[in-house]
Amino acid sequence: MRWRWFHQWGSPRWFYERAGRWQLVCGWLSLGLIAVGTIWGLGFAPVDYQQGNSYRIIYLHVPVAFLAQAMYAAMSVSAVVLLVWKMKIADIAMQSIAVMGLAFTALALGSGAVWGKPTWGTYWVWDARLTSMLILAFLYLALIGLRASIRDPDQAGKVCGILVLVGVVNLPIIKYSVEWWNTLHQPASLKLTEKPTMPASMWIPLLINILGYYIVAAYLVLGSMRAILVARERRSSWVRELVRRV
Amino acid sequence: MSIEKRILARELWLAAARPGDIVKPIWFLLLVISMVPLALTPDSDSLAEIGSAMIWVATLLALLLNSEHLFQSDFSDGILEQYLFFDRPLAWLVGLKLTAHWLLHVLPLILISPIGAVMLSVPGDVSIALFITMLVATPALTCFSGLGAALTLGSSRSGILGALIMLPLFVPVVVLASGVLVRAMDGSETLPLLALLGAFSVASAILVPIAVSLAIRVNIGGSN
Amino acid sequence: MFEFQFESLTAFLEMAPHGSYVWPVYLLGLGVLGGLTWANIVQHRRGLRSVKRQIERGEKHES
Repeated sequence: MRWRWFHQWGSPRWFYERAGRWQLVCGWLSLGLIAVGTIWGLGFAPVDYQQGNSYRIIYLHVPVAFLAQAMYAAMSVSAVVLLVWKMKIADIAMQSIAVMGLAFTALALGSGAVWGKPTWGTYWVWDARLTSMLILAFLYLALIGLRASIRDPDQAGKVCGILVLVGVVNLPIIKYSVEWWNTLHQPASLKLTEKPTMPASMWIPLLINILGYYIVAAYLVLGSMRAILVARERRSSWVRELVRRV
Repeated sequence: MSIEKRILARELWLAAARPGDIVKPIWFLLLVISMVPLALTPDSDSLAEIGSAMIWVATLLALLLNSEHLFQSDFSDGILEQYLFFDRPLAWLVGLKLTAHWLLHVLPLILISPIGAVMLSVPGDVSIALFITMLVATPALTCFSGLGAALTLGSSRSGILGALIMLPLFVPVVVLASGVLVRAMDGSETLPLLALLGAFSVASAILVPIAVSLAIRVNIGGSN
Repeated sequence: MFEFQFESLTAFLEMAPHGSYVWPVYLLGLGVLGGLTWANIVQHRRGLRSVKRQIERGEKHES
């Protein structure tokens, strides 16, 4: 009885139905939060005295950059669950998060590049943060490519799980080494001066958007998981029953 | 003969049977190095500035090139499956195989690097630093490329995929090595960085074979 | 705190002098999030449809 909550996760059908409800909640909630945060940030937050209006990109860039990294953490939790408890849902979560993580990382890189043009005068600099974000994108890409190359989904899941865990051990080392490398080659002259305080009217919308993007990521991952679940379980009786009911 | 000796002897015999596998990466390395002055400039001052980094990157690529099939033939022949039945941990046997690979396929690349350094007019002390850096850093790189090869064992067409997967994980090694080269060029102390690089290699040599053995187990389990 | 920072809607759209940087970023974001949502829906529907076809084929086989 005590373990029921845990075993439920092993049931694809239970997850599929529950995720459908969660997805609906997450979808509308995130839409509301992001709409409020973005309109507030774009129209009502005060102009930055140093960067002018270009700073308004942070209302997309910062949440997306947070998520790019948070999703790797979520993926490594799934990898542990998969390798230790052999839970199928965890594998599907890993597969979904890899794709969404790549999308968010690419969005963070793209928005960062566009932001860089007015602030640094160039789209790309080999700054420590940009470089480690780029490496992160390559890692997500590696996971997607590896999975795509293996035909048996169970085998692909385990192999990807190993790569995820090797990556999670390496990521902090990569991050620190890249930071160190950056100081080695040139003093970071292009770094943004950290402002001591951000007025509340600037950071409240940012906070709302961060929350909103976290929830939209959950929405997207759940949606993708349900789609993958149907495709993988297409021979099982519960999917057939589901289709008959519709 | 112990299992260890038999495995090493087999690797040696295989390498002798296929000398092309040893020669081709060296050939590739020398070709890439010859392309540098052709693409950039024959001016020896500018070459000396980037030469050591170019040799380092070319070696990295050559190393990836020759580790692509590290486990592939043993996997399809069923030799790896036999490894499971020896009374030794698989990670230990994998480590042995990686060591043999380093000695037979990576060491020649390092030994050739002074010739590359002369071709790109890298100053003597920097070229010595480059040589030592490679000696210290390549064990870690060999381990990681072995992991790439093991992870892609079940792929239908692995090809370059192992290299694409593992290159991002090379970053710390590449960065530390570039630090050594930069310091060697200004003539400052390189020993602390070399020690750090060595520590990374030792840690990889201990931990990565475990991941490799896991990957091999998964792929053997999935194939039948 | 809740004061509109621009004098007019055109000034808002212009977002001088950085409108050409800010707006494309948000359009890109909208495109990516919308695209992913759409892709999920399409993939889900395709999965369900293929199961449906499978069932129909099975029933025809039985009769």
